Amino acid sequence: MSELVTRTVVEEAAPTGVEPPAQDLHPNRTRAVIALARFEARELLMQIPVLVFLLLYVAYTGWGMFNGREGMDDYPVLHDVDRSTQTAPLLLALVLFVSINRAVLRSRRQGTDRHFDVLVMEPWRRSLAHALSAVPFAVFTALVVGFEFTWAALKPGAVGHGSLAELLVGPLSILLAGALGVLVARSIPFTFAVPPFVIGMYVLTTLVAASTQGTHWVQWLAPVVTEEGAHPFPSDLLGRPAAWHVLYLVGLIVLLLCLALLINGGRTPRIKAITVLALAVMAQGIAGQAPGDSAALIAARAKASATPEKVQTCVAHERSTYCAYPEWTGQTADWAEVVQRVQSLAGGPASAERLTVRQRVDARSGLESDSALEPAKAPGVVTVGTRWGGNRIPEFAVGVASVLVTGDETSSGEVCDARSVIIMWLALGSESHPLTMLRHVRLDDSITGGGLALAPTNPVSMNAAQTEVIKELLQKPRYSVIPKVKAHWAELTSPKTTTAQVAQLLGVPTPTGPGALSVKTCEE
Amino acid sequence: MLDDAGTAGNAESAGSTGDAEGAGTAGSRGRAGTAGTVGSGGTAGTVGSGGTVGSGLAVGSGVTAGGIPSRGRPYTVARAILRPLWRTIPRRALVTGAVLGLLFAGIPRLFSLRLDTWAGLNLLRAAALTFALGLAFLLDDPARHITAAVPTRRPVRVGLRVALVAPSAVLWWTAALFLIPEQARPPVGAVTLEAAATALLAPAAAAVMVRFTDRAEPGGAVCVGLLAMAVLAHLLLPERWTLFPAPFAPRWEGAHQTWAVILVAAALAGAWSCAEPLRRWRPAAFAHR
Repeated sequence: MSELVTRTVVEEAAPTGVEPPAQDLHPNRTRAVIALARFEARELLMQIPVLVFLLLYVAYTGWGMFNGREGMDDYPVLHDVDRSTQTAPLLLALVLFVSINRAVLRSRRQGTDRHFDVLVMEPWRRSLAHALSAVPFAVFTALVVGFEFTWAALKPGAVGHGSLAELLVGPLSILLAGALGVLVARSIPFTFAVPPFVIGMYVLTTLVAASTQGTHWVQWLAPVVTEEGAHPFPSDLLGRPAAWHVLYLVGLIVLLLCLALLINGGRTPRIKAITVLALAVMAQGIAGQAPGDSAALIAARAKASATPEKVQTCVAHERSTYCAYPEWTGQTADWAEVVQRVQSLAGGPASAERLTVRQRVDARSGLESDSALEPAKAPGVVTVGTRWGGNRIPEFAVGVASVLVTGDETSSGEVCDARSVIIMWLALGSESHPLTMLRHVRLDDSITGGGLALAPTNPVSMNAAQTEVIKELLQKPRYSVIPKVKAHWAELTSPKTTTAQVAQLLGVPTPTGPGALSVKTCEE
Repeated sequence: MLDDAGTAGNAESAGSTGDAEGAGTAGSRGRAGTAGTVGSGGTAGTVGSGGTVGSGLAVGSGVTAGGIPSRGRPYTVARAILRPLWRTIPRRALVTGAVLGLLFAGIPRLFSLRLDTWAGLNLLRAAALTFALGLAFLLDDPARHITAAVPTRRPVRVGLRVALVAPSAVLWWTAALFLIPEQARPPVGAVTLEAAATALLAPAAAAVMVRFTDRAEPGGAVCVGLLAMAVLAHLLLPERWTLFPAPFAPRWEGAHQTWAVILVAAALAGAWSCAEPLRRWRPAAFAHR
């Protein structure tokens, strides 16, 4: 009882400068580490390179978000957006790796190492604090990544759903850079070691990629694996072991950090235990992500690519039917709008034709190969891809128009005559800026001379004379052209009509360019 | 560089002592012979007036007569400071860069990998960059603020440093080229241009830094800056402006014209920055007026 009273008195006494020792022997160690980590993080932020790269990262991300990407940003595919947030943080990770390494070696460079020896804090706790100084940057990256994803997810045209594991890779790569910076500083204590180390990592990844030819498990050992190139897949066909990869990254980060602490003298049982645990976690992650595409996944991809009707749901809008992969069903109204617009310009039986618009993607050769789609053989079937927005809309309109004129996609690829004039006018005639759209939809981005107009499957070719007629037509008021088109539909859609005749029928000046009088125009 | 200057000074004073001895002997000979024939054989200039050895030393130091530099002097100075300069060159950084670069270039032969030209080109670029990172330390001179006052000018000293390293750099690059297997070797002339520009960029940046800052050892900052520039140029330059095209890409010709411009610009900037600044360039100085 008296002891308790004494202690209370001591606690309540005014500070004398000579306080009694705390009851707990190590009360504030964690707090000291956190305080040092906060200080070091602030020091990092004060360095010009870190600040510049931080701004660069934000600017790069912002440019990616707001440059429009040909209008496709209005229709983001969320399970591709989450993956695309992974590369840009590498810029920040690189500069943090160099700067944290320099910060760890600061005391050595300035010859103040021995002053730290008199401090209570052990050197390995300083290393831990240096590694933790990357945490605020990781949090910042997480905020940027989260904003990037939320921005895309809030768009009315967004399809699919993202994965948290993919979003975590960016912030984790920052933490990895911090742990690696400390490990390199503690194992090779020279500042000069870092730049060659960075180049060495680059050389290593290049060589491994070149010599293993993209073996799945080797490829996934890299911290960031962005498989890009293919058109967006339905999310169940992705087959990316994202969750395992996050487990692998967490294990790797903790393992590197523990190795640095062990090298630095922190050989406590707890750190040893954590090292073993991290090693196990990392091994588990590697084992989980190592197997490549499973047989079930390959079968599912083949099924969705070759026989999409088995996995798709169809919706009817007015006359036509629209079949989409489950995640894209919300987009069918946009497709229907384009189809109705094009069909309203057509004449003859085409104006009342019942089309089937089928969404397709070729998922058989994986996420990194951009393979062209085979044209559909069935009559009245129009293909639409998994990308939408921007130029994809007039391209789809070209596809719809060519099926309306020729009957099916396979024969629309063989259009070698003046029918391309009516196809292009149908596709673009109802646009508000038809000539701009013509420039965009053509492969060579020009509106003179011969060229190819892109469509979801087969492109439509036109020669110089036809381009001239198309330009004249698109410049005329559309309501003066529509009656002529409806009246002469049979001649206009006949493969035997020459370009000069088409011009005459539609009331535009007869073209002077080559190929105006011949029927077949593909040979030139 | 501190002991370098000291040794150079010693060498110079040794030379002048020799001259002084000559003068002394001339003087003594003059004294031994008739007084009228004194200056006739004196290599150290007019010695006639100098009767004592001490004044002979004062007149003969510097091999100049009446302030006019004699033709032999730069060579004498260069020969004298060559050895101390060799000692002060940051050999550790240079050797590390060179060895790591050779290691990168030698990987295909070490592990007998079959590579294509694209991989070979990347390896050579990485090797050249590593070597250039070492070269960034070439102008490091801890005693820079002391050697600012020595009579041998900075361009001479910098030029000698570069001249000391240049032959080994050429040898190193040849070795690196031959380490890449025949079937993976990209067009030699173009890659050499890239490597030369990269290698020259590092000391040129260091020279510019020495010219415009008070730093004695700009190596570390230049090294990190060069790496950052390489990474950023690699990541941020769009396809039509890229500096690192694939072999036989449409951009190959244009990229190497840019590399040639970089080479010339780096050489000019480096040469222009070699001079010792007469006064420090300090923006803050304007603020205090």
